[in-house]
Amino acid sequence: MQPIRGEAVRLENVWITYSGAGKPAIRNINLSIPFGVLTLIRGPNGAGKTTLIETCLGLLKPIKGNAYLLGVNTKDERIFEVRRKCSYVPQDFMKPPYEHYTAKKVIEMGLSSNRVITDPLPDYFQYELEFYAKELDVLSLLEKPIGILSGGQQQKVFIVRALIRRPKLLFLDEPFSSLDKESREKVTEIVVNYIKKHRGSSAIIVSHSFSKIEEYADIIVTINDGVITDIRFQR
Amino acid sequence: MLLMIPLLGALLSGFICGMLGYYVQRYGVTTLSFTIAHSALAGAAISLVLGFNTTLFTLFFAVASALLIGYLTSKSPIRRELICMGLFSLLNAVAILMLYMSSTNVLSTVQLSTILWGSVLAITCEKIIAIVAIAATFLVYAVIFKPQIDAILFDQKLAEAEGVNVKLHSTILLLFVGSAIAIILRITGGFLVFSLLYNPVASALLLSKRANIQQLISPILGSSVAIAGLFASFMYNLPVGASIALLSSVTLLLSYVSRVTINYMLAQRSVRSKEDIEEAFTVHL
Repeated sequence: MQPIRGEAVRLENVWITYSGAGKPAIRNINLSIPFGVLTLIRGPNGAGKTTLIETCLGLLKPIKGNAYLLGVNTKDERIFEVRRKCSYVPQDFMKPPYEHYTAKKVIEMGLSSNRVITDPLPDYFQYELEFYAKELDVLSLLEKPIGILSGGQQQKVFIVRALIRRPKLLFLDEPFSSLDKESREKVTEIVVNYIKKHRGSSAIIVSHSFSKIEEYADIIVTINDGVITDIRFQR
Repeated sequence: MLLMIPLLGALLSGFICGMLGYYVQRYGVTTLSFTIAHSALAGAAISLVLGFNTTLFTLFFAVASALLIGYLTSKSPIRRELICMGLFSLLNAVAILMLYMSSTNVLSTVQLSTILWGSVLAITCEKIIAIVAIAATFLVYAVIFKPQIDAILFDQKLAEAEGVNVKLHSTILLLFVGSAIAIILRITGGFLVFSLLYNPVASALLLSKRANIQQLISPILGSSVAIAGLFASFMYNLPVGASIALLSSVTLLLSYVSRVTINYMLAQRSVRSKEDIEEAFTVHL
């Protein structure tokens, strides 16, 4: 079965097992996510949410079944090119205090997959950097080493990095985990506006703690013990 | 002048190993490069027995194994440490078997002891030029692909998720490591070449927590222990490879002691400031 045009992500009977683990982390997953929607993946700790998101990105390869990202099988060599159109904010983003790269440099690194040293940064970089950094209240922290920033501030820097890539598909794994209520609402607003502004772009958010995002989600996927237990289409 | 070539050779060997060792550690390909070091030894043993040009055949073997390891670790579902350990055992067995099956003429040659234990006499102008060429090519590569390399050094998984071809860059790094090892093998000896690749960076990691400082310290330590090892070899008539390996291990031990001392002093200072705060609080009350 080939992926249908217009699907951002397609998973067909996907099974993932970690090396050395007896039980599969996710089992028989079938999922289709179209373009232009906000998808929320929710479930308790250890349900397989991060495994699911990493499978969509092709960081984990199915032992059974097929995963397609923007129409390309994640086992295909072209997956690197496809990933350049995606952004990812991982769950385990925290950097140690001695990490010397500045916040601005970390954001700039987000554009590294498409350029060599002689390529200039895109024209929009400075404007969007200032815009998102101001919105998320990290503008004054851009010249500081990432390691000395708090968990919440680091998480915001990674969100700016993800957005500045202008992705076709945005993966956010627990993006609210270190944020206060106000910042959570701000991130939700920014992501929703991003999808509206960049027509055809999609966002997949993994969250187990913040219910506000449910109001905006077009699709809510519930996962438990490695299997999808419910898929709800809200619009 | 007679001492200049070995001195320059040792300095450059230490520098390139310290420099590449830093990237090997940060890329997480230590086991892979360890296997390549031993494949170079197997290549050298085969070339000695079959009568090929040792440097060229070692280079070919190291490069071929770097490509094979790069391919296998990206394609196979088996954990890469297991692949590397399997290949390491195989290559070591090949090296020993080739030497065992060779004629007594080969076993008694200077070339054999050079391959196994290293020799100052193995440092030639051609090898110095080759080391400079490898180091220069690596630096050019590191400058051109700085954005991708920085992204990998900062967060490998995130870089991969954003479309940086981490496996390709890891294989390129392994090719540089394989080439460098093939050239340096006869200076330090096949069994000890990896000590120059790992001990300087391990010491640098202990001496500083900051990545940019580690990047600077590692080649400096590599060059220093290589030169010191060379002098020790001259002065006490010892095998140069063993002298370098021993001094790099001593440096690692001293770095560890320094780190433990620094940590202890920092902990003491922290306890003292906590006590000061508590005291001030009590007085205030």
